[in-house]
Amino acid sequence: MYEKDGEEIFVIDGHVHLWDARQENIVHEGGEQFLQCFYDYHTGFTPEEEQWDIDEYRHYGADRMTEDLFGNAAADMAIFQPTYLDEFYDEGFNTTEQNAELAEEYPERFVLNGSFDPRDGEEGLRYLEHLKEEYDIPGVKLYTAEWRDESKGWRLDSDDAFEFLEKCSELGIENINAHKGPTIRPLNRDAFDVKDVDDAASSFPELNFIVNHVGLPRLDDFCWIAAQEPNVYGGLAVASAMSTHRERKFGDIMGELLFWLGEDRVLFGSDYALWNPDWLVEQVINAELTDEQKDEYGVELDVETMKKIMGENAAELYDIDIEEKKRQFRDDDITERFDLADHYGGDAGAAAD
Amino acid sequence: MSGSGTDPAGDRAGDPTRESADEPTGDAADGLRGTPAVRERLDRVEDPELARSIVELDYVDAIEIDGDRVEVRFTLPTAWCSPAFAWMMATDARDEVEALDWVDEARIELCDHMHGEEITTGVNARDGFGETFPDADGDVAAVRAAIADKARVSRQREAVQLLLDAGVDAEQIVSLVRSDLTVVEEEAHVDLGGLSVVVDAAPIADYLDRVTTSGHVTAPGDTLFLTPEGGPIPPEQLDVVQKRSRLATVNMGGQGAVCDALHRARHGPDGPDGSGSPSFDESAADGATYDGDVDEFTSTWTVGTDD
Repeated sequence: MYEKDGEEIFVIDGHVHLWDARQENIVHEGGEQFLQCFYDYHTGFTPEEEQWDIDEYRHYGADRMTEDLFGNAAADMAIFQPTYLDEFYDEGFNTTEQNAELAEEYPERFVLNGSFDPRDGEEGLRYLEHLKEEYDIPGVKLYTAEWRDESKGWRLDSDDAFEFLEKCSELGIENINAHKGPTIRPLNRDAFDVKDVDDAASSFPELNFIVNHVGLPRLDDFCWIAAQEPNVYGGLAVASAMSTHRERKFGDIMGELLFWLGEDRVLFGSDYALWNPDWLVEQVINAELTDEQKDEYGVELDVETMKKIMGENAAELYDIDIEEKKRQFRDDDITERFDLADHYGGDAGAAAD
Repeated sequence: MSGSGTDPAGDRAGDPTRESADEPTGDAADGLRGTPAVRERLDRVEDPELARSIVELDYVDAIEIDGDRVEVRFTLPTAWCSPAFAWMMATDARDEVEALDWVDEARIELCDHMHGEEITTGVNARDGFGETFPDADGDVAAVRAAIADKARVSRQREAVQLLLDAGVDAEQIVSLVRSDLTVVEEEAHVDLGGLSVVVDAAPIADYLDRVTTSGHVTAPGDTLFLTPEGGPIPPEQLDVVQKRSRLATVNMGGQGAVCDALHRARHGPDGPDGSGSPSFDESAADGATYDGDVDEFTSTWTVGTDD
């Protein structure tokens, strides 16, 4: 846990992956290009001394991931967002099942989301039920721009997707994480589209729609939709990394998000292993708006706001009791392993809330 | 913009490691032939997502000239850049270069892109996007229109702010039509029913350019400033429209930062050709961090210029 201005900040990293892009798992050249593109994102927004080499980036494994997230208490908890990409990777890139290996080892530390693809039809619905039954998933991560056979993507506001959202609602899978950011393999349909979130969000007010990457490069469409739909949230993956080298851009984006969505609907995510919370969390927590930005947007990036963005907002969505977690983390396996008792031993939490 | 890469006159002397082998010599005396002329045309080609020149953004790897044939190679920040955008840049580059009267044929090569081969082949064969990508939905024209509209929204803010600062009130601003505006050299004259206000022409001209390209405000009687949806602005909504316009600008700037970082990650600090010529302004890169507006970080790396 971090402390800033005497306040503890409980960090829930809202966006992490345990992926496998080793050569032997790649079955299509797209898989290699995809990983290389990720690596460019990594090096482009990572301080030089924190950059990984490409081989450790391909596959870092559960052990290293645990250490990166929790070893120095950068994050207190993390939320898995699976990415299947079955056409590119033999065993999948980062599936629910792959993530589950680690999530089930430390269930108190991880939230495990599942996924669906409406093009899977009846079989997909059964798979969703299976994920709920097997892992009790509280949410799904969706890739609307993924190609599949003849299809070049799908829309959240289609009849097929609604059937799946209906199923989510029925099963109590409340958190719909949609990747609306840099596209996976777009031709033109999806290139500018975040609008399908609008109809889905108003049709399913009981579900929460977390738009990953805050819609970049469609931040404008995203914010305008979110301003009107109270169950639409912004996930900061990718955007948070802009605090490296691009502080002012990061400040502008935060200013816009806080202006249009308010401080209760923005969620931190590192997108690990794209970026490592090991250094990113601290960097984001210490990010500041310039005076000019504060004037322009009329918002503050103060400790109270930071506490919400870094953990409390995710806790709200995923029914996590932060005070209960702090007590639990005084002596859980992770705390034992990394000797973190000091982080959770204080009584500071008692005064809060 | 402070970009130093956009001004052909500001180019550094030719990088000896990057000269074009078949550069026609002696023809460039009037400045209208050779690589500078090609660069000048390419400078008009924009990355549609960023509304900024591909020369300024350093996408152009090489220009080779062989008599009346020109070859341009370019690379985008990521292999995953939307093929529709890549297609637009490639066809625009071809058409701009071929607009030079001494050029008979321009050949464009898109390097290191997931659809590089298809796009290179399609553009040079003069095929349409639909022929090259038969399974794509919609067409490039629709994407162009959507992008042009974003640029329009983004540029409106500065023009409106200029008028607000000049004392024109919201009611007056939203009821202006195209013919109320006259741009004369450095000045824009705004006719407010007999009363005329004079403001700096640049933001107005820039806006007019974008709004016309977007297909709006084409007739003298057309309402000048519009909502992002393209309708008239109720006066009490001008403020929120201004904020949406700001948002469009921040979006474009944010994406610009992403593209710039990816571009530099792909090519390293030594430029796309590995020639050792810096891919960005060294003075700006000295510090461990730079407070990053891409505009401040525009490359001074230049393609093989001749002198």
